[in-house]
Amino acid sequence: MTIGLTHYLVVAAVLFCGGLFTMMTKRNAVGILIGVELVLTSSILNFVAFDRYLGKGRVDGQITGLFIIVLAAAEAAIAVAICINVYKNLSTVDVDRATRLQG
Amino acid sequence: MNSWSSFPIGEHLFLFSPMIALIATMLVIVGAPLVAGRGSRTIAGVAVMGIAAGLVLSIRVAMHVGRGTSGFSLQPAAGLLIVDSVSAAFQIILFLFLAAVTYLWWIGSVETESNAPEFFILLLGSAFGMALMVSSTNLLGIVVAIETASLPSYALVGFDKRDRVAAEASLKYMIFGAVSAAIMLYGASLLYGLVGSLSVVDLAHYSITKFADGPPLLLIVGLLCFMAGIAFKISAVPMHFWCPDAFEGAKIEVTTWLSVVSKAAGLILLARLVSIFSGIIDSPRAMSILGPLAWALGLMAAVTCTVGNFAAYKQVSVKRMLAYSSIAHAGYMMMAATAFLHPATNQYATPASALLIYIVIYLFMNLGAFGVTAMIVWHEGNDRIDSFTGLIRRAPWLAVPMVICLVSLVGLPPLAGFLGKWWILLVLGSTGTPLAWILITVLAINTLISLYFYMRLVVVMTLRDDGRPEVKCPIGGVALVNACAAMLLIMFFFAQPMRAAADRYANSFYSTSSAKITQGDAPASTSIQSLSVSDSDDTLFPIYVQRIPPTQEHR
Repeated sequence: MTIGLTHYLVVAAVLFCGGLFTMMTKRNAVGILIGVELVLTSSILNFVAFDRYLGKGRVDGQITGLFIIVLAAAEAAIAVAICINVYKNLSTVDVDRATRLQG
Repeated sequence: MNSWSSFPIGEHLFLFSPMIALIATMLVIVGAPLVAGRGSRTIAGVAVMGIAAGLVLSIRVAMHVGRGTSGFSLQPAAGLLIVDSVSAAFQIILFLFLAAVTYLWWIGSVETESNAPEFFILLLGSAFGMALMVSSTNLLGIVVAIETASLPSYALVGFDKRDRVAAEASLKYMIFGAVSAAIMLYGASLLYGLVGSLSVVDLAHYSITKFADGPPLLLIVGLLCFMAGIAFKISAVPMHFWCPDAFEGAKIEVTTWLSVVSKAAGLILLARLVSIFSGIIDSPRAMSILGPLAWALGLMAAVTCTVGNFAAYKQVSVKRMLAYSSIAHAGYMMMAATAFLHPATNQYATPASALLIYIVIYLFMNLGAFGVTAMIVWHEGNDRIDSFTGLIRRAPWLAVPMVICLVSLVGLPPLAGFLGKWWILLVLGSTGTPLAWILITVLAINTLISLYFYMRLVVVMTLRDDGRPEVKCPIGGVALVNACAAMLLIMFFFAQPMRAAADRYANSFYSTSSAKITQGDAPASTSIQSLSVSDSDDTLFPIYVQRIPPTQEHR
């Protein structure tokens, strides 16, 4: 069996669904961020796989993959900083317990 | 073979000089504490110098682009960035509002703030993202711009580390932002796989050919996922939940920044995308995609403004009420964007000019309203509606501009807010489709609903009085809000010149954003030089420079 585009897309789709499920079910902010990272990884996989199989000499997708890696790193840095700050103030990072702002 | 010899590097650097000024200022602020210490006043002084330099540069760029003779755009077909008169004008507005926000920060926090360098780096960083956002025509460029604008904003919202409410607000904002950015990127990857290119123009062409043979599921999923990121930025339903929380939790100057400039940038981005899609309307099969797109956008707009107005109804926090009101206004502006997608209006660029006018008016209305709220917050320590009781006696110079801004937000004459709504109604009416009439009805009903909660605040300010002491407020802040209120009156009485200017901008916006110029060969009036490093067609993101002819006559 040769590995083709479909295999990559299925793996990416599974990652995406897993990430989406994680984002929707987790109540811990760090858990939600893990879901976000899964979805970002699935989009990187998609971009790179499309590059490889859609024709020779494409690099747009690979460059985009690199950009997404940097974006994910920047986002993780900010997100973890905010989580630490929330933990210091509220002693929890459970998003259901953050209920001061409502309406 | 040196194709760089024909590449006007100096001109390109000049056109991006406002953005370069922003980055240079950020770098100087990183280094300044080593030399001059972390004093708030020093850092703010450095930031103000950078903002002033950026303002001068952006005005020069706008004059350069506006003359038309040597204006240019990076062609949307292949380029990552566009510089046209709209993005140049937005940059001027960006720097003016940066100055206004810096001034509000100066009044409110210069004595107490110990982290001024970090604040200004984040503020200027998000400003840079917004400047990129109005210039992007490429899926990657759009994603990077939105993230560049969003990431510093999360930190700005939670900037006061000891404030529990701010921490919670930044957590909610960050989680919504991260989720929508991830979904947006997955959508972008699907679109890239389908289209084989990251350019929005190619995406528009591809969509037309596909929609003609029945709705393609994957393309719709990709477009919807991609739309999630933009909906987050303009806080359209269903991505609006962050907006009231972030606005209430953040410091008032940050709230002003987010509600005013950030949303305007998102809306100009939306307008650019929609105008690229509408540029392909000449194709006979175009209606097959533009119809569904217009309905999707129109329904989103209708739901957005209805949700915003109904939720604003019961708020006791004025910041929160203004947050919901800004959601509602995003809905009105999206209605103007739906009118792009109709052949009747498409050729005249009128929807673009109505949208641009509304954005400018919205900027002044919201800056005025938030400015007054800021001064009440500093005086009273909270932003509940009770704090505004009897404001007409306690501080007439705050109450009068606040009333003007609120009445303008409702959209009653003789204030500029009325003009904005009126022109959106006219544009919608001129398309005459069933969707347009639905939207007109929704807009009219929403204006009536919004009358209630804006007028509630006006009544509290003018008719009630519980003998609170007079409000002491800085003279500069009073001048700022009164200038905003005066602008609203001036814009109403100079409607015709303003309309003419907006039409001129809209025309150039339309000609640079529209995909028409990429169909077939380039028109004779434009000369397109391909500037690729290796002369092959497969180079990464080749840049096309297109000289646009002098400003066309308004049709």
